[in-house]
Amino acid sequence: MTVSTTDLDTVTGPDLAQLWRTRHDRERFQWSSLALMTPAFGLLIVLFLIPMGYAVYLGLTNLTLVGPDSVKWGFTGLQNLSRLRQDTTFWSSLWVTAGFIGGSIVGVVVAGYWLAALSMRARPWMRIFVGGIVVVSWMMPAVTAGMTWYATTTQGGALGTLTGLHNTNFLDTWPLIIVTVANVWSMTGFCMLVMGAALRNVPSEAIEAAVVENATAWQRFRMIVLPLLRPTIIAVVLLTALLSLANFGLIYIMTQGGPGNSTNILPLYSYQQAFSFNNLAYGALIGNVMVLIATIFGVFYVRVATPKS
Amino acid sequence: MGGTMKLHRSAKLPRLLVAGSLLGAAIVVEAASGLSASASSKTSISVAYAVDTTFDTTPLANKWWGALKKEFEAKYPNVTLVLDPIHGGEPDFLTKLALQFKQSSPPDVIQFPSTEIALYQSSGYLKTMDQYLVGSGKSWFSQYPNVIQNEGKIGSHIYAVSAGENNNGLYYDKAILRKAGIKLPWQPTTWAGIISAAQAIKKAEPKVIPLWTDAGTSAGPNGAGYGILNLLAGSSNPTIQTGSGKMVVSSKGLLETLDFYHTVFADGLGAPTSQLFSENNAPNIPSTDFAKGTLGIAVAANFIGGNWTKMVSFPYWPQAGTAIGVAGLPKINGGGYASTLSGWDFGISSKTKDATAAENLINMMQEPTNMIEAANWAGWVPPVKSYWANPLYANFDAPFAKEFGQLLPWSSELPSSANYSVWVQAIEQASGTIAQTPSTTGSAAMSQMKGYVTNQLGSSAVASLP
Repeated sequence: MTVSTTDLDTVTGPDLAQLWRTRHDRERFQWSSLALMTPAFGLLIVLFLIPMGYAVYLGLTNLTLVGPDSVKWGFTGLQNLSRLRQDTTFWSSLWVTAGFIGGSIVGVVVAGYWLAALSMRARPWMRIFVGGIVVVSWMMPAVTAGMTWYATTTQGGALGTLTGLHNTNFLDTWPLIIVTVANVWSMTGFCMLVMGAALRNVPSEAIEAAVVENATAWQRFRMIVLPLLRPTIIAVVLLTALLSLANFGLIYIMTQGGPGNSTNILPLYSYQQAFSFNNLAYGALIGNVMVLIATIFGVFYVRVATPKS
Repeated sequence: MGGTMKLHRSAKLPRLLVAGSLLGAAIVVEAASGLSASASSKTSISVAYAVDTTFDTTPLANKWWGALKKEFEAKYPNVTLVLDPIHGGEPDFLTKLALQFKQSSPPDVIQFPSTEIALYQSSGYLKTMDQYLVGSGKSWFSQYPNVIQNEGKIGSHIYAVSAGENNNGLYYDKAILRKAGIKLPWQPTTWAGIISAAQAIKKAEPKVIPLWTDAGTSAGPNGAGYGILNLLAGSSNPTIQTGSGKMVVSSKGLLETLDFYHTVFADGLGAPTSQLFSENNAPNIPSTDFAKGTLGIAVAANFIGGNWTKMVSFPYWPQAGTAIGVAGLPKINGGGYASTLSGWDFGISSKTKDATAAENLINMMQEPTNMIEAANWAGWVPPVKSYWANPLYANFDAPFAKEFGQLLPWSSELPSSANYSVWVQAIEQASGTIAQTPSTTGSAAMSQMKGYVTNQLGSSAVASLP
């Protein structure tokens, strides 16, 4: 409700005091908005909260894919959580996931920015050509990207031919590094596009003024470009983290989590438990941990990206 | 008069109409009842199978199942056979099949790996075949070797019958062994004999891979069955699962087996990890290596021989029969041969609405031509002993089919339990660690395996044996 000066002039006594006590600089709740939000709430409940709640419940049961517990199964309390706490493979998988996501974030942001900055200075035909190739790599399905990198990095592949190390199987020698590089390769196109758009919005006057003030290239980058790119970088970091966390297909195609457990990221371990070892409930619990990690990234993003008043 | 006529005609018309309607209704009812009788006598059963993994190629699978459908429907015209091919690799097939059984109408008949029988039986998914197998016309079952009869037996009941079996042995390149100074035909009597032959090959032909033994996890649970588990079967203590159901994580047999792997890879006798860890059908790689003349000896499955036939062409190598020899895999210190037995079986769903039709289908699949063609095209040994001498089987990839048929009685079956899938993952990881880091000793690899299995199953589900 808005109150005009004219309205105030006609109000007297306790009503006037009440009006003055009301804060007009804060958003107020309107009951009628509930009706408008009902469809969205309904969808949220049906498509997210109920499946999520069921997944949480499944994680606390003994359900299996086949076997006696696939027919008669039930709630087992904190048994699976206790197992998770002591599961060394899970903790190892968590570290592998952290390495994979961390490496991917650094690689995607650095390569994406570098390509975007270079393309700003490139001739138009080259910008379009390189940009096209990078975007194609981004649009490639994970299966195709995985097959491409598998063929490139195994013995006799293009990497061996280019480096002269024909007998080296790069994928088996440095598996986590290779799958991370493959992931960076497949996601850099997206980052390049976003960074390119952000770089075009950096005011050239600010850069020119810095040049006049004899600022070095590093100083210009650190003090002008980087602060202006901050929201873009945060968005790229979050999306890279979430997409990498869910990138089951790429690693499944390239290594299936091996050799040993060296590339066994959480989605693969969840799949392995649910479908290779038949432990659907434990697999669901690991999936819930992934949702928790994704939520942490989401909260972090909202906190960092929300402008401070 | 005219009025009378009119009255008369109008009184007759309804009668005619009623009579006509009754006649029409009778015809419709008769036709409908005829149709209904015909529809009720026509039933259908479905059969689910892995179309991309059991047979050597998908077209061969389609050919075999298509011919079976025609034959079955010709013999039983009132039953429609609905084929339910499940695509994907073996893990994909097992997942999809398990999910089908969670639905209200699962397939009537399934073809599935023998290692899954106990899991499906304990879920209540399988119908016992006891009555069916004691009936007349099941002479094929009595001709199974005991070890294969027991494959589908849980407690005192039979829940599955064999579709075909895979066993393993040693293949060797005769020319390479001759160059290495090894007397032919070669038949080592101990594991030491295998190692010394591989070392001789390495010395005489440095560019040749002396000995292929599967390692790592890339081939899935079956990979171990074609590799390391054969050696475990020939060790001093081959126990994988104790009588009380505990998985063995430490034993003399495991240590001997992993030590053998350590020797192979530490001495540079094994295949490179680029081949062993290949996602691309690793257990079949020996057939291409042998054809290229780059492999001396392989611990491998019976289907390698079939790979060289024109029908399979992986690759087509007509000289294979004379260039390659077969020997039994000896036990560690002699005294016979060892091999795992990893078969595919047929089971009938406990929810089937037409058990007789399902049994008739299985009976048809066990007939000589059908079973031998399946064995030839899928790389199996048929479980019925009399089929081994059948020219259709014996001449398909001669001399390999006959040789592996003779080795079949030495085979031992693998456990069928949920915990086995964890255990087999652990032993594959252990073998993969040795292949990748040959300095890993057998005891270190066994500790790794013990840690993994104990972590996954809990200490109460594992056992250490002397």
